[in-house]
Amino acid sequence: MVSRLLDVLDKTLTGKITTKKEWDIKIVPTRTRSILKEHGLEKLFDPLNPINTDLSLADEFWEAGYTLALELGLFCPETERIVQFTENEVKESLQNAPSEVALGFGKDKITIKSRRPEDPKPPIAAMSALGLSVSEELYIPICQSIAQYRVVDMLLGATLDKIHGREARSRTPYETLAGFYEAVLVKEAVRRAGRPGMAVFGVEGAPTEYGFFGGFGVKGGFEPERSFAICLIPEPVILSYRILHRVAAATNVGAPIEAGHMLTIGGYFGSPEGAVVGSIAAQILQAASMFPTVVESTILDGRYFGNCGREAVWATSVSHQARSRHSHAMNLGITSQVSGPCTDMILYETTSISIADAVSGVAIEIGTRPNACRYPNFCSGLENKFCAEVLRASTKLKLSDANEIVKTLIPKYEGRLKDPPKGKSFTECTDLKTLQPTQEWLKIYEQVWKELEELGLQRP
Amino acid sequence: MEKNKLIEEIREMVIRFDEEGIKRVAHQVLESGIDPLEVIREGLQKGMDIMGEKYENLEVYLPELMMAADTVYAALNILLPKISVEAAKKLRRGKVVIGTIFGDIHDIGKNIVATLLRINGYEVLDLGSDVDPKLFVETAIKENAEIIAMSCLLSPSMYYMRDVVQRLKDMGIRDNHYVIVGGAAIYPAAAEQIGADGWAKNAEGAVELCERLLGKGGEAEKTPKK
Repeated sequence: MVSRLLDVLDKTLTGKITTKKEWDIKIVPTRTRSILKEHGLEKLFDPLNPINTDLSLADEFWEAGYTLALELGLFCPETERIVQFTENEVKESLQNAPSEVALGFGKDKITIKSRRPEDPKPPIAAMSALGLSVSEELYIPICQSIAQYRVVDMLLGATLDKIHGREARSRTPYETLAGFYEAVLVKEAVRRAGRPGMAVFGVEGAPTEYGFFGGFGVKGGFEPERSFAICLIPEPVILSYRILHRVAAATNVGAPIEAGHMLTIGGYFGSPEGAVVGSIAAQILQAASMFPTVVESTILDGRYFGNCGREAVWATSVSHQARSRHSHAMNLGITSQVSGPCTDMILYETTSISIADAVSGVAIEIGTRPNACRYPNFCSGLENKFCAEVLRASTKLKLSDANEIVKTLIPKYEGRLKDPPKGKSFTECTDLKTLQPTQEWLKIYEQVWKELEELGLQRP
Repeated sequence: MEKNKLIEEIREMVIRFDEEGIKRVAHQVLESGIDPLEVIREGLQKGMDIMGEKYENLEVYLPELMMAADTVYAALNILLPKISVEAAKKLRRGKVVIGTIFGDIHDIGKNIVATLLRINGYEVLDLGSDVDPKLFVETAIKENAEIIAMSCLLSPSMYYMRDVVQRLKDMGIRDNHYVIVGGAAIYPAAAEQIGADGWAKNAEGAVELCERLLGKGGEAEKTPKK
């Protein structure tokens, strides 16, 4: 692994020179547009069918994404060079990608396995208050409230706002200390939830490599035997040293890596179709450059920065179908809602994207991400329990069933995507003594489940 | 060539982001003695309005929007020197120094805001991502920018936005620049804690906020001390 990583680093010093602007507004969009045209994949987004049911279409997108990966490569911002891979390197990295991994300790240990569309085994539900800033005093209760539900398989912590009362400022020693502190708090939360060996991710609240170095793979921090090392690229085809630092550190301790990227419909890859080929290319390139155990792909809609509208759901479904049919690599999906806890909208949003991801072949799903992680402490255990339940229920669905359900749900909230309800904070919708949801929140949850059952989703 | 046809051509070139073509037509406008102000309003601004609508409907995307903005500026560089100082002053919306705050390397949201500001007539100085608080302040002073706009996706970086405001205060120049904030980690109460003059939830909101602060392109409500 080290020698492969060194080869990648060498490429960052020797590739073709370009600028970030040229890369963003010329090279990426031009190549994407021409590949879509060459493969006859323009304007195929079907607003009436948000989950793709034509797997041959997914296959065509895979071919296009594969070609794009080979032609495009990745841009290294530190050296302003393009890192390209040969077809042999790409093939080899896809072949070497693991198809399963075991994480955790003792009776809490789980095995994550590669899945395919309409796979009868459920994806792993890795639940969270994803990306949310969380108060120090609520960090353990929030994590515990999520981990307490047995339907949740893994825990992903939130972002700590303070460390012993001090601001956890990024790229300072505060962040380095906060990385370790996060590990301590997450492990205490799962212990209190009666799941001391639960599999987790680390370091969630590390905007830079400092927090990662402080908390991952060090004594008392996130153990490589139970934790995915989070190595996320903010943009899909950018390979920054800041991420490669984490890859190097994770490699040093033999940790499973969660690579990933965020891609925006309306952004550099353009259309929903462009987002699909972009995400496929990004997955292939991340496999070749970061040697991950799982690859996260997040396709957000740039108009509201969530992924539960019909364009994002469609693009996500095609992307996961393509990737899970053509590679045994494990794919990671994400739920990114724009509404908040204690609203019916967050449950509708969660259902749409969770069903789409599960039925399209993700191995693992992370979320939830209420209010697109804007408001601190606006999260609860219940939307995570709900998400995990929907993921399980989705294993009984065919793509066509899934599409019919999601078709009915999206009109219930799509008019509110740009102005969604904020909902309630953790303390407003959770009993802090029992960590159970309030009656109001529970009633909304029961009502939405009733609606889903009427639509044919079997509650686990 | 008749005026309406030239204006139409200018509008089309914005939509097609034909930078070389628009320079040629802009020179033709001047040679024909047509009022450049009218061409700016009816050609360039309307062309960008169309692009804005197309972006909202996912008919064009960020790269096209950025190229269209470059096209508009290519024409403006030729037309603006030929209009009266008074008219140019009226056209001017304001100068914005923008960037993603220190410790955060996410930049697509910031790029969308920067582009929408540009197509709405603002002069935008984009400092990129992971920007030192000091650089925001130094650039705003050097460029006489009315507005400092900061984006933040990761909450541990948010604190540096407050440093920008504090630095302006410590230097005794807080009243010289508006400070606005946005990005996934920012919400109204956070903007207040930072001491910002405004918060926007999305790119369209950021444009509206700038217009509110600077008085819709007319007289600024708060004129920077030069």
